[in-house]
Amino acid sequence: MSAPAPPSRRWLRGARPSRFELSIALALVLAAVLPLGASLWLASRLAAENLALGLDPRVVDRLEATPALYGDLFQARKQLYAQQARALAQGLPRSPAAVGPYLQAALERTPRLRRAAVLTEAGEVAAEAENTAPNPEGEWREAPARVALPGGGTLECVFAIEAHFFAELDESRELAEAMAGVEALRAEIQRSYVRAFALLLFAWALVAGLLGWWLARRTTRRVTALVRATGELARGNLAVRVDPGRSADEVAELARAFNTMVAEVRESRDRIVYLEKISGWQDVARRLAHEIKNPLTPIQLAFQQLEARHRLLAAPDPAFARLLAEAGEIVREEIGTLERLVGEFSAFAKLPEVRPEPADLGDFAEEYARASPAEGLAAGLEVVRAAGPCPVALDRALMRTVLANLVRNAAEASRPEPARIHLGVSRTTARAVLTVGDEGPGIPPEVRERIFDPYFTTKSEGTGLGLAIAKKIVLQHGGEIEVGGRPGGGAQFTLSFPLSSPSAAGPARPS
Amino acid sequence: MRRAARLLPLLLLAGAALASDGAAVPVELGSRGGRLWARLDLRTAFPEELRRTFANGLTNVVSLHVALLPEGGDEPAALFGRVVEVRYDVWEERWVVQVRDPQSPRGRRLVVRGWEELRGLLADARDLDLGPVAALGAGRWQLRARVELNPVSRELLERTREYIANPPSGVRGATPSRSVLGAMASYLLHGTEASEARLFHTRAFSGREVPAP
Repeated sequence: MSAPAPPSRRWLRGARPSRFELSIALALVLAAVLPLGASLWLASRLAAENLALGLDPRVVDRLEATPALYGDLFQARKQLYAQQARALAQGLPRSPAAVGPYLQAALERTPRLRRAAVLTEAGEVAAEAENTAPNPEGEWREAPARVALPGGGTLECVFAIEAHFFAELDESRELAEAMAGVEALRAEIQRSYVRAFALLLFAWALVAGLLGWWLARRTTRRVTALVRATGELARGNLAVRVDPGRSADEVAELARAFNTMVAEVRESRDRIVYLEKISGWQDVARRLAHEIKNPLTPIQLAFQQLEARHRLLAAPDPAFARLLAEAGEIVREEIGTLERLVGEFSAFAKLPEVRPEPADLGDFAEEYARASPAEGLAAGLEVVRAAGPCPVALDRALMRTVLANLVRNAAEASRPEPARIHLGVSRTTARAVLTVGDEGPGIPPEVRERIFDPYFTTKSEGTGLGLAIAKKIVLQHGGEIEVGGRPGGGAQFTLSFPLSSPSAAGPARPS
Repeated sequence: MRRAARLLPLLLLAGAALASDGAAVPVELGSRGGRLWARLDLRTAFPEELRRTFANGLTNVVSLHVALLPEGGDEPAALFGRVVEVRYDVWEERWVVQVRDPQSPRGRRLVVRGWEELRGLLADARDLDLGPVAALGAGRWQLRARVELNPVSRELLERTREYIANPPSGVRGATPSRSVLGAMASYLLHGTEASEARLFHTRAFSGREVPAP
């Protein structure tokens, strides 16, 4: 006997997918991959076309040209400011006292002029004016413009240029540089998008495969179990059973049907085996009865002759007469025992065929209790019936023999106390059940296994045929008999018979 | 130091690319502190037509990789890399230049007023440190240079990744919102060698031709 596999190996064996599971998983993967493959191609095209749209060379060129446009704008502004500074210089009054008001007036009339100063040749400020009011165009940066004055010195002007130009310039430069980078990497970007799509599709296909395998496994695990169980059944293992699980689908129904089928096959086999065994024992009983019965009569006759001759003696020996009388008593007692044994053997060997007729098991049990006063008086016999009819096909005469055997056994088991025997009648979905229980010491488990074997008995005077006969009769009714313990103590025999509908009740098929 | 370490893979990549030949350029060799210093005249790499490109107000990147190889050989004995970022300031009307190389890994900033001055700065590749002079031995050597304009640098790659992962981030004031697919695509985005590279080589020389300081 090989050692059981370690749990990890058992898990691996259990996790190994079956061909059916692989087929379903493969089908799901294919079903997922085929459209995904097409999507991959579409994604590639989409990425290429989007990049082509986003990276239109004209757009990229315009973006790259934007800083130069700002350069042109700045150039224009610088020229304008230089021109305005020159105009200011030309109109500069000769009188130093008038320069200040002139510059102030210039600030007020010249747009964006923030400060104007006249510097001497030494660089000292001779006159200046400054606009301290906020710039109406918002934040600004200084744009200087210098003009050399004819008489020496310099007119230094500071104009405002909008700060947002520089921010926009930086932004457009960054964007243009980013677009230039994207343009340089256009082919690689397209490939990276395809790679990303492929990765996503592969992950999706993997998930689909795993999901498919998991879904398939939920169904095929039970189908695989059924296949394995069928193989076991084919190898003769009638103890095999399949767990139908909690589902209510067709596979679960199939599993339940399989279990029912196996149970019926097992019962049929047990019945056949038992009946064959009983048949063999009946043959043995017939021969034994014949072999025992034949010499009994000559023995009895021979002894009777011996007694007759002794009685004719003129002077019989009193001691011998006593001996003969004792011997005769023994011989007749033993012959009587042997004749009873032969009778039982013959009865066992000549069990009649079952001739079932429609009956109600509850009525039959009550009828037995009423019509068997001997057993009824010897024991306290009570019948408990479940509500409702229990229509069965019974051979009343043979079933009375069965009940008589069981009741007698129960009564004997309870001795010396008076027996209390309980007959119970109930029904399940498909069976009518008759129980015969007592309050005796019960039957040990090791005895239960052999209790229906012919000639097996625990009693000193029993033949061991009563329960064998009972079982044979029950089996011939298509029923089952089992022995167990009675709740509350004692032994209990349970007989179950197939229910027959009252309208269709007829002779049961002989087993 | 970290920037120098980042430059190393680029240098190795460039070294392999420098195996191919290109136009001949003049070279000036010298030694200082026992090391070989070279100066290349790469004027042909910066023709007049590039003026418009460099004056477009965007950041233009010039990468220069120089390899010291045995004459006729492909295995570089020394590599030197330099990255120059050039941006024309349209308000100040001048170029702002940022030079990064092993001598100044954090970069040094220069301001150039005119195109010719900028062109000279870019073309005059000086102070190229090519390792110990003693390593030259008795063999003959050659310098090969690779000049790329706006290559796909690590910075550009990172910036592009951020852009496709979060497109609105390129626009000021936009609400940051990450694109899931874009984030995946950015993660899977690889660099490319798509930029145009110009290759140059010098005459062959030996260690004896390197003048003493």
